[in-house]
Amino acid sequence: MLNSQIAESVIDHALSLGADFAELFVEKNETNVVSTLSNEVQSVESGINFGIGLRLVYGTKVLYGYTNKADLDELLRIASVLAAKDLRDPVNTTKSFNFNQITDIHPARKILSIDAEIESKVAYLMAADRAARAAGEKISQTRGSCMQREQRVEIFNSDGLHTNDGRNYIRANLTAIASDGGEQATGSWNDGGLLGWEIEAGINPQQTGEAAARQALVNLTAKPCPSGRMPVIIGNGFGGVIFHEACGHLLETTSVAKKASVFHDQMGEMIASSIVNAVDDGTMANEWGSINIDDEGMPTQRTQLIKDGQLTNFLVDRIGAQQTGFARSGSGRRESYKFAPASRMRNTFIEPGDANFDDMVASIDRGIYASHMGGGSVQPGTGEFNFSVTEGYYIENGKIQYPVKAATLISTGPKVLKEISMIGRDFSLACGMCGSISGAVPTTVGQATLKVDDILVGGNA
Amino acid sequence: MSTFNTNTALMAEQVLDLVMSAGATGDLIIDEGETISLKAREGELEEYKVSSSRIFGLRVIKDGHIGTAYSEAVDADALKSLVGQALNNASFVKVESHENILPNSNQLVTNDELLCPKEQVSIDQKIQMALEIESKLNAKDKVKNVPYNGVQDIFSQRHIFSSAGLNALTRSRMCASYAYALVEDGEKTAMQGTSQVSRLFSGLNASIVIDKTYEKCIGLLDGKPIPSKHYDVIFDKECQVSVFGVFSMMFSGKTAKDGINPMRDKVGSLIADSRLTIYDHPLNGDGFGYHLFDAEGTATQKSKLVVEGCLQTLIHNSATASYFDTNTTGHASRGPKSTLGVNLHQVEIAQGSEDLLTLQSGEYLEVTDLAGLHSGANAISGNFSFGASGYLCKNGERIQAVRGITVAGNFYEMLNKIAMIGNQQSWDEGRSALMPSIRFSDVAISG
Repeated sequence: MLNSQIAESVIDHALSLGADFAELFVEKNETNVVSTLSNEVQSVESGINFGIGLRLVYGTKVLYGYTNKADLDELLRIASVLAAKDLRDPVNTTKSFNFNQITDIHPARKILSIDAEIESKVAYLMAADRAARAAGEKISQTRGSCMQREQRVEIFNSDGLHTNDGRNYIRANLTAIASDGGEQATGSWNDGGLLGWEIEAGINPQQTGEAAARQALVNLTAKPCPSGRMPVIIGNGFGGVIFHEACGHLLETTSVAKKASVFHDQMGEMIASSIVNAVDDGTMANEWGSINIDDEGMPTQRTQLIKDGQLTNFLVDRIGAQQTGFARSGSGRRESYKFAPASRMRNTFIEPGDANFDDMVASIDRGIYASHMGGGSVQPGTGEFNFSVTEGYYIENGKIQYPVKAATLISTGPKVLKEISMIGRDFSLACGMCGSISGAVPTTVGQATLKVDDILVGGNA
Repeated sequence: MSTFNTNTALMAEQVLDLVMSAGATGDLIIDEGETISLKAREGELEEYKVSSSRIFGLRVIKDGHIGTAYSEAVDADALKSLVGQALNNASFVKVESHENILPNSNQLVTNDELLCPKEQVSIDQKIQMALEIESKLNAKDKVKNVPYNGVQDIFSQRHIFSSAGLNALTRSRMCASYAYALVEDGEKTAMQGTSQVSRLFSGLNASIVIDKTYEKCIGLLDGKPIPSKHYDVIFDKECQVSVFGVFSMMFSGKTAKDGINPMRDKVGSLIADSRLTIYDHPLNGDGFGYHLFDAEGTATQKSKLVVEGCLQTLIHNSATASYFDTNTTGHASRGPKSTLGVNLHQVEIAQGSEDLLTLQSGEYLEVTDLAGLHSGANAISGNFSFGASGYLCKNGERIQAVRGITVAGNFYEMLNKIAMIGNQQSWDEGRSALMPSIRFSDVAISG
């Protein structure tokens, strides 16, 4: 996408201005989104993003600029503007580019640049809508969407790296709205991956529609949630957002290096219950959070974060490695050329255990089963987090009693990790978008159903 | 804005000529921007970011079908492809008889002196402020570090052209500074932050960010949960604006048209306490929600949304207005990457009658921080449950810092549980809304 000679000239120029390291991140990104409202196509949107990010590093100081223009003069201008306050004699020289052809471990067939397959996506969403509305007359509406993206990146740096990658994302989701008089409730379901529209063969619109409708209908009958400290069973799949928020963000060197993470000085220590094993893995074939290489050009890897409760690794990008001394883990990621890379999660999950769901429920006198979780947020410095429950049930005397609404789970990362007492076998993954310092990137969360012994449940009963 | 392309109008004309030659109508948004962003760490500049950007966003309407497309590549081939994509996208979409390009050929330009003032300020002055905020906060007692901080100077320009001849230009500037500090005292930690915005860099004051951030951090360091029960609650300005923002969909003519706005059939009905009056006031130049015209080039005006508890109107663009057989209220919204929608510009809640002493009488919970706003609310049902921090107060005095609690309820029911409305309006930190303090009664708190 960018002429190598232009790249070499820009990086030479940056080093001549005294930079220790220079990098060009070139990106072209095509997106197509089909949206439906019940049984009609509401919109089809498409577009192209193109730009180049230039990063200069002086010591640990990062200078970053970007532009939509791919011409030499503009890139040289940005380098000069960035370096204006840090000019010094050259301390490094460019190594010749050595093109590194990556191995594509996440192949895709039905990619956007070949065919957007809009008719097929519309047919899928229409079938999901019909399935949802057939699930009950109280389903008043559905909203569906299918997003496909093809991102091509090319990376050059002053270490002589020249590589490129193509990433194909697909995500389909349906939200059902159930109405009863003045009451309205929602339910949703989504599928996605790092592949093309061939995902269609593995997803079933009937199941998608029924799952969204089932949740909406359950929530329509939900009662206000009891509140207070109590044990909570957290469902599999997207329930893994608890680990993502409560722990994952605190293991990124972006916060570790700044000592803005409660775990910054706890490498090798027991930070979780001894039954907890946690992993961040970019290599899982065609998973939503996977990559071939990170956005600094390093091949991705599987990183064991916690082993038997003990902290074993952080997620480390180039600057994080420089600042903390830990080895890079292929975790430097960014939303687009508009962001400098930072250490970020990929597919992050707690490994399965051997507990039985019925035993978990039976062990609780008064608590909550949060079968489906929504989003949440965390304050890295203190580890305080919150998650919303999108489908939950009240448990009393070892039995599930009734669905509850508007529940939130509140705790701190270090505390909740130590309160995990049972982990089931029903491991699954779910996709989402993670927002942080380098923008929103695709990440997968996952776990088997697990039990946390003590957590604050916010409700309005 | 010196580097902005001077051929913008020419390129827009070429794009819209292609649209019209295909038998369609359309409008084109061209957003351009230049940003400087600085961050400091341990007394040194940690990040210095400069950027320039431009994006074209096209909407076409052909035979009642609407298609949109955008591009950051703007060479001749890319612009031709942009038109082709939008037309192709339109061919899949249902006929929308209510959405048309308005017959608006106005030539509109906003006032640069008001929205985009110039000043002589060097990059060194901006760097100095970033360093000052970080280092002075870092030097304070119990501050462990200031992991998130920065100074920004952002110029943005939006140009809207339509096949009907609309040519509307707005330029704006925003300077901002912010800091989040982590304080530590033994096992206890707290992280809080504040921000400040101004049209001019000279309007920023580092001391305000430093002092407010430190005060918020230290204040909550000893925070602990309080017993679960229903309390009177006063949200601080940031939290109150955020909560009203989360549920702003209640005014949307678009969601009403889509059948998911619970207020759809309540125009003319009492939906809130009779002391509550809400406006949208886009022409108040003191705020950053100022808009002279909306995304269709329709002139904006001060709108009465709720008067003495009674819902007066939903907000409309020309399409939702046509659907409901009414007039546009000047609330059309559209970005280069999005379809036509509606948005509030700058909410203003009318002042009430209670002085501060009365508003803060007896026991109440002052909420100064909410977490999970994006995930803990359902705007369709009105249900919410947020993590919260703040202070248990009595007669205006903070008697206990509170953390690790949740605040939950139903926003639409809460509008009828207003105990008092203060008699002083003030802006939030981002100057996006102007509101008095409101005291809500009987709010569920779990600790």
